[in-house]
Amino acid sequence: MDYILTTYELTKQYGSYKASNEVSIHVQRGAIYGLIGRNGAGKTTLMKMIGGLSRPTSGSYAIRGKNGESTEQMMSKVGILIEAPGLYPNMTAMQNLTTKAIALGINDKKYLMGLLEEVGLADTGKKKAKQFSLGMKQRLGIAMALVNKPELLILDEPINGLDPQGIAEMRGILHHLCHDRGITILISSHILDELSKVATQYGIIHEGRLLEEESKEELFGKCCERLELKTSDINKTLEVLNTMGFSKIEVKDDAINIYERLNESGAITVALAKENIQTNEIAVKTEALEDYYFQLTGGNENV
Amino acid sequence: MFNLIKMNLYRMSRAVSTWVIAIVTVCFALLQFGSLKLIFDDPFNMFSGEAGSMVAFDRLDGVSAVTTFLQNGNVLIILAIFVVLFANAEHKCGFDKNLIGLSKNRWKQTLARWISAVIGMTALIAIGFGVMLGLTALFVDAFTFGSAVAMFKSLGLMYLGAVAFSAIFFFFTTLFNNSVGGVVTSLVLTTGIFNLFEMLMDMLVKKIFSSPKVLPTDIFYDSVFMNFSHSDASTKAILIFAGISVVYIVLSLLGSMVLQQRRDVK
Repeated sequence: MDYILTTYELTKQYGSYKASNEVSIHVQRGAIYGLIGRNGAGKTTLMKMIGGLSRPTSGSYAIRGKNGESTEQMMSKVGILIEAPGLYPNMTAMQNLTTKAIALGINDKKYLMGLLEEVGLADTGKKKAKQFSLGMKQRLGIAMALVNKPELLILDEPINGLDPQGIAEMRGILHHLCHDRGITILISSHILDELSKVATQYGIIHEGRLLEEESKEELFGKCCERLELKTSDINKTLEVLNTMGFSKIEVKDDAINIYERLNESGAITVALAKENIQTNEIAVKTEALEDYYFQLTGGNENV
Repeated sequence: MFNLIKMNLYRMSRAVSTWVIAIVTVCFALLQFGSLKLIFDDPFNMFSGEAGSMVAFDRLDGVSAVTTFLQNGNVLIILAIFVVLFANAEHKCGFDKNLIGLSKNRWKQTLARWISAVIGMTALIAIGFGVMLGLTALFVDAFTFGSAVAMFKSLGLMYLGAVAFSAIFFFFTTLFNNSVGGVVTSLVLTTGIFNLFEMLMDMLVKKIFSSPKVLPTDIFYDSVFMNFSHSDASTKAILIFAGISVVYIVLSLLGSMVLQQRRDVK
């Protein structure tokens, strides 16, 4: 597998508290890797360590397979937007980009204008960053992260606080960067629905620990559709289902979940009626990513 | 490093605070010129018979102009505010996050920032002193230029002192990670608030050692700078002053660079 970023038991400890606890993630080149976790789960801490803003207490990471001292050369290939975008409020969008570009020895106004066009800010002219909406600031933050032509973009909660239009614009930008420019994106969010629309790989992080890491297919396979059945007699119902040839069955509380032949609810109801079993409820249900996340992390507080 | 300095100068030129401080410096220079004109030419006969009694020197030449302008708590406060605001601006708005992760040698960014602050400070001194000296030379009858060598020697020494102060202000701004800490420290140092503590330290040292060779006021930089009389200083005194200044610059910069290198970005 071609990984652009691998972390090896990356840990950040403050006193006795481990904000990031031996986290090992594997980000495939060209992926949009979604870090899922509630507030305070350790997403930002992990991203800050990878982005070079904070030093790991222990563990390491490799970018394009290079770790240790040689990570240094690779750091110039990483663009970051962590927490609020770092912008000079009294400067225009172009002046902010120019400031970073000068520091990196880039003297190409056309290139910078191209970046502004990519994020939809080409016509902001002399408007100062302090007059920008939150969405515009976030998009300028992404343009800032792109100045050094990164191969890996680290975006921490870029859709946080955006209105629906802003979220849609951001989604479009992420798709463009990943698919048209081939930039790998590591993105965190606690808005799972939105993340599920863009990410192709997932890491679920909780209380500083990585609970699961899987591809979109694997994760969505776990969040699959099922037939939920509630009857007057669970044991007799199971016998009937067994006779009908159903095998992917799970009993949960007072319901029976059937994970196959979802279009046979009518036949099931008739078969149960023949055995004098009353069907109280039968419906096709889909477990959302959010439900799966709650199940994994054990609760839905503070998400 | 060169690119980082260029970047810092670019952002300095676009910061409102830079231009506000430049205007304040020019106003201060005009105020100084006005005071000298009033005291030495005494156009309203306010100080008849006692010209010069309001200032520490009895003649007005290039050297005393340097003293008036630079060895003065007010101009140091202006420079301190400039250095503190400039040093902290990048962190305050979070712009530092765009650059810090790109290199493991974060100390270079700190050094570049300080060098840029010194360049800005030099420009402010040049503008302020230029305005004051020019107007004084043109409009104060009592002014005689005197020895250019002596004036530039004084200017050089006082400039070195201002640079040392800038390094100290820069260090405290980095240490506290905000402008308030830096401004408070610079006010404490430049307004003489720290003097009381220094005198107490002197008394303490004198009590412990019967005849100490070095007192705290000999090494606390605000005392070293304010008490240095460059017009009649011996070579040894000049060397001690320059040496202490350089030590403060080196220590303050090293401290700032180590802090930046080791500290996480919040």
